[in-house]
Amino acid sequence: MTMNGTRGYYSGLVDLATGLISREIFVNGDIYAQEQERVFARSWLFVGHESQIPNPGDFFASRMGEESVILCRDRVGSVHVFLNSCRHRGMKVCRYDDGNTTVFTCPYHGWSYGTDGALVGVPFFREAYHSELDKSKYSLVEVAQLCCYKGTVWANWDASAPPFLEYLGEFRRFLDLILDGWDGREGQVELLGGVQKWIIPCNWKWPAENFSGDTYHNISHRSVDLVGAGPSGRSRRDYNELAATRKLHVTIPDRGHQTITYVLPKDHPPQAVYQNSPEVAEYFRHCEEERRRRPGANSRLIGAPGEVFPNLALLPRQPRTLAVWHPKSAHETEVWRFFFVDRDAPQQVKNFLRDYYIRYSGPAGMTEQDDMENWNYAHAASRGVIARRHPYTYEMGMGHAVENYEWDGLRVPGRVVDLTKAMASEEPMRNLYRRWAQFMEADSWDELMTWRRDALREAEAAE
Amino acid sequence: MSDPINIRDLAVGSRIVLGSGAEVEIVSNPKDGVWLFARYLASADDPAIVGQEEMIFAQDVVEVRS
Repeated sequence: MTMNGTRGYYSGLVDLATGLISREIFVNGDIYAQEQERVFARSWLFVGHESQIPNPGDFFASRMGEESVILCRDRVGSVHVFLNSCRHRGMKVCRYDDGNTTVFTCPYHGWSYGTDGALVGVPFFREAYHSELDKSKYSLVEVAQLCCYKGTVWANWDASAPPFLEYLGEFRRFLDLILDGWDGREGQVELLGGVQKWIIPCNWKWPAENFSGDTYHNISHRSVDLVGAGPSGRSRRDYNELAATRKLHVTIPDRGHQTITYVLPKDHPPQAVYQNSPEVAEYFRHCEEERRRRPGANSRLIGAPGEVFPNLALLPRQPRTLAVWHPKSAHETEVWRFFFVDRDAPQQVKNFLRDYYIRYSGPAGMTEQDDMENWNYAHAASRGVIARRHPYTYEMGMGHAVENYEWDGLRVPGRVVDLTKAMASEEPMRNLYRRWAQFMEADSWDELMTWRRDALREAEAAE
Repeated sequence: MSDPINIRDLAVGSRIVLGSGAEVEIVSNPKDGVWLFARYLASADDPAIVGQEEMIFAQDVVEVRS
């Protein structure tokens, strides 16, 4: 009999040679505490969208891992992300979800900060501090790195991490599928409505794994397919246009990002979609024609669920949404779901999509409810001392991924599993947990940026 | 001790008196109930400060003049 360890992470819990992964990485509180430092404090994390803070003074209270942060636009229009914690005694200086302000004032002792993070107000500065406090030392703590990419805002606490686009690597084109306009123009989306937030009783890695590209669980959504919750009244999505495609799992091994994607054949005409509304159907038909006319390989890719390491899920198409799996404890996750729409789409299209999106996703979404049933009960059933002795298997399709995948003249980056016949694989999950284990074991970003070492070796070999 | 003044209700242009006796005019109110932005109109303790703008702490406000 193997006794459960009470210690934290150790090498071997993620065994990709056998495809076995210990349940401890999902339920162990010590491992959870370690991953806050080793994963979340070093990774690029999604914070929000610039359309949430269009004007000077606008702010949106967000999260990075367990930490509360403030995304705001200062008086001169620059975007900042600050730790939402007063430098005096740590109280939250912003307790609203969003709004507009000139200052963030701590309600505890009254310290006050400008929207650029500078400490501007200290009660009894002359009297009690005798004007001796160096205010410049006590600005709000700002993230080490910030990147605004096609409207999305990303931040990183680690100054030694690579720039965001290098972190993203070749996964960028898959993220573009959600951020570019449906007609192919760059960065044309805006947030639709508010952010849906709710708490689920499971570890954050359950939804992260699911959205990495778990096609094996489609049986869970059978009832939604039977109801016909999709935008054409059949199934839960429009599948007609997928009949001619190749369905792929794409993983970017040295980055830890992965997705499902569909590749259209060359010169494939737009198919009928969104048939529940003639106006919406016409909008997407027009956009699809425009997209095909624009140069670039993305016109032949159809987006599907994917994951930017560690905790950002993308669903570029139906529905079009980003979700963040904020860790709360080993056993709790706070989900934030952002819905997107083409900024200049007709209001009728936005209304239709809003109804479809919330019918599909979010706490009241039919498909997301299916998923939550699985994650929450699987997590609960994995916490016991007996359950924890038995690892999960991730053996499906091991050794069947290929590099330099090409179909009908389109090369796809990363390691690829063709699901058109295989139906499912667990390559994306292995990719996620390989990267997670690397973060848990590496002491610095130098160890994590394997691609830089490879490039250096290649350059030296070429000399 | 006088009753506390709810500075959230004070409009831009209002004149107030501080604990030091200085008189200031409100130039901006973030309405957080803690701070005001104001310009000094008179200050017996420190005449050099007249004309300057400063953040005024709520507990410093002792009287509303207009």
